[in-house]
Amino acid sequence: MADDEDFPSSSDVEEPEVGDCYLSDHEDDIAENVLQDLEDGRQEDCNWSVTSVITKESLLAAQKEDLRKIMELLALSEQHARTLLIHYRWDVERIFELLEEKGKDRLFSEAGLTMSENKVIVLSSYSDPFTCSICFEDVSPVAITEMDCGHCYCNNCWTGYFIVKINDGQSRRIRCMTPRCNAVCDEAVVRSLVNARHPDIADRFERFLLESYIEDNNKVKWCPSVPHCGNAIRVLGDIYCEVECTCGMQFCFNCLSEAHSPCSCIMWEQWTKKCHDESETVNWITVNTKPCPKCHKLVEKNGGCNLVACICGQAFCWLCGGATGRDHTWSTITGHSCGRFKEDQTKLIECARRDLYRYMHYHNRYKAHTDSLKQESNLKETIQGKIVISENKESRIKDYSWVNNGLNRLFRSRRVLSYSYPFAFYMFGDELFKDEMTSQERDLKQNLFEDQQQQLESNVEKLSMFLEKDFQDFSDEDVMENMKHVINLSSVIDRLCKQMYQCIENDLLYPLQRATHNIAPYKSKGPEKASELSVCWVSNQARSTKTTKMDVLPNHISAVNASGTTLSAKRTRQFHAASSSDESGSSRKLSKNESIGSAPLFDLNMPAEVIDKS
Amino acid sequence: MLDTTRVQKELVECNRDTAISGVSIDLHDGANLTHLCGSISGPLGTPYEGGTFIIDIQLPSDYPFEPPKMQFITRVWHPNISSQNGAICLDILKDQWSPALTLKTALLSLQALLSAPAPDDPQDAVVAQQYLRDYQKFVGTARHWTDTFAKIATVGIDEKVSKLVEMGFPEELARSVLEAVKGDENAALEKLCSG
Repeated sequence: MADDEDFPSSSDVEEPEVGDCYLSDHEDDIAENVLQDLEDGRQEDCNWSVTSVITKESLLAAQKEDLRKIMELLALSEQHARTLLIHYRWDVERIFELLEEKGKDRLFSEAGLTMSENKVIVLSSYSDPFTCSICFEDVSPVAITEMDCGHCYCNNCWTGYFIVKINDGQSRRIRCMTPRCNAVCDEAVVRSLVNARHPDIADRFERFLLESYIEDNNKVKWCPSVPHCGNAIRVLGDIYCEVECTCGMQFCFNCLSEAHSPCSCIMWEQWTKKCHDESETVNWITVNTKPCPKCHKLVEKNGGCNLVACICGQAFCWLCGGATGRDHTWSTITGHSCGRFKEDQTKLIECARRDLYRYMHYHNRYKAHTDSLKQESNLKETIQGKIVISENKESRIKDYSWVNNGLNRLFRSRRVLSYSYPFAFYMFGDELFKDEMTSQERDLKQNLFEDQQQQLESNVEKLSMFLEKDFQDFSDEDVMENMKHVINLSSVIDRLCKQMYQCIENDLLYPLQRATHNIAPYKSKGPEKASELSVCWVSNQARSTKTTKMDVLPNHISAVNASGTTLSAKRTRQFHAASSSDESGSSRKLSKNESIGSAPLFDLNMPAEVIDKS
Repeated sequence: MLDTTRVQKELVECNRDTAISGVSIDLHDGANLTHLCGSISGPLGTPYEGGTFIIDIQLPSDYPFEPPKMQFITRVWHPNISSQNGAICLDILKDQWSPALTLKTALLSLQALLSAPAPDDPQDAVVAQQYLRDYQKFVGTARHWTDTFAKIATVGIDEKVSKLVEMGFPEELARSVLEAVKGDENAALEKLCSG
């Protein structure tokens, strides 16, 4: 337990700062909500990202859920509700907000929704025969259709128009044919007319409408797996989160690339680009080579004297790059001006050299941890073998779940560690935050961060060492000893990860003035496994009540914020702070929640006091 | 498949009051209804006054549910029309097209565009810049282009006819061809020679 005592203080220091984020009357309300949801037990985590997998089969159910909310609230038919939701990108909360802000009429008209209650009467008033103003043909009133907006054309023209629009991929917003008429055509009319002529195109229309729930929805995204697994993921709450699809794909929900927290999406994008880029190679070339003045091949000096010979036979002066010749030979240096100082060039080279070293420093460490992770993943099988041997051994110790738990903790923390290096590269470098901090501030923060990173690193290495031991050959006492180390280290590492995330979120990213970087919060168990969206009616209802409860929270937070910042991203961050403070502040609540939640295994990596209590 | 009945009706309808509206549509070559040739007269009180502008019209197979493709054949100096190739930047020819619009309304819109340029949404950046920075110069250039490219040379048409007659073409034919190509001597000669 000696390890334990090394780091008890930092979370205590952190806490008041977290509290500062929402010093407000509403604080109690939030706490109450949090509490309520936690008590619900359905909530899997208190980071307010609940993810679910939407398969082909459950897509309809997922859509129906939102449709029903709107239909009930505004007393609309399903097709009108769908038009409204498509226009407002399936954001039910936003529709609720706009309803209060703008009123029903403007809400509808902006979405291209026009209601006509006296449709039947109008229709009968058309003269016989009716001249369609598209095809200029006379048609009987039976073969014409009037849209909700009151515009009327012959069925033939409507159908031709719908087919062109559907083939153009514009199924979701087919407007009336009248110039400048904003009304969206009734999907029931589209369906029945198109179906009469081209049932296959009607099917496609149907599919487009269904997939609108994914395509036009900020909270739902296709799983980025290749080949595509056919699933989509829906997130309720914070969209900055990491999620695991049922197909096994782990990814960052916001940018759809691999899970990269604590790097922000922007940092990660730049980092991967930088790693693939040749810019650093070019930098190395600038620093370490010179082009031959004759054949222009790049020459690297491999020792000694400054008279360098290129492979082509040309000799030149390493200092100035000038060719040896009549005026410039090693024996006579007439006209040799290379000793004169050209400041610009030197500075440039110096800068390039420094940037290169800095990048290499971070990249090497990032690479080292990802490589370790790969090797340790291979180790997993070996360790499983060791467990089998141990379990069949004549011994009173039969439970080896601590090995797997330790292994999972190792993988998780390795990931955090490796991604913490690109994070540090950008956080303390000039690329993104050049003017955000004074160099003094930067040094201070860098020290703080690196200190935490270092602690985490050394413990991760220790854990790796204990896990690699050949415990199957140990005596019972030694196995116990090893187990103790692994369990203790696991819980220490978990806490260190949390602390590092707190440092990143509260001390490093939050104070940024010019940019907002959101990161997926730390989760002890790694990216959240999205649960299958249940299709049955009852659970849908349960879910929808839960959703509305969740909807309350962000609103509260924005209310808290209204006086201060208006940046929504800041809001999300405070969101994090609220949740992480909850994590550290009342671990009892959290643990209760976690043990009730969908975790299939009892997690031995819980802090010791939690294990005691349960 | 192109709805030819509608196009035919449109042609009749459009050419009924050419003198008043100042727009007309002709078949481009023979009986092909997918390729038409529109013409609009330059609106009064603009630098385009007095000019006749020829517009190439291609009808996609899904017309009228897809917009017609229109392009100026006559060169014109206008912020929303390319001075290089005559491409037009007009919303109703793109996403704001509606099947209830017709070729005639589209041509009338082009006429309206000539009298009310929208330099903030330019097709030709050079022209738009000139329009915004030096309006007088823009008017001068536009008028010069109209004079040079968009005017049927009524003066001297007899001269050209007699020239062609002297080359051995019958007078009637020479006159009609010259009119068809808006007085362009070389184009007329080409057309006459090609058959």
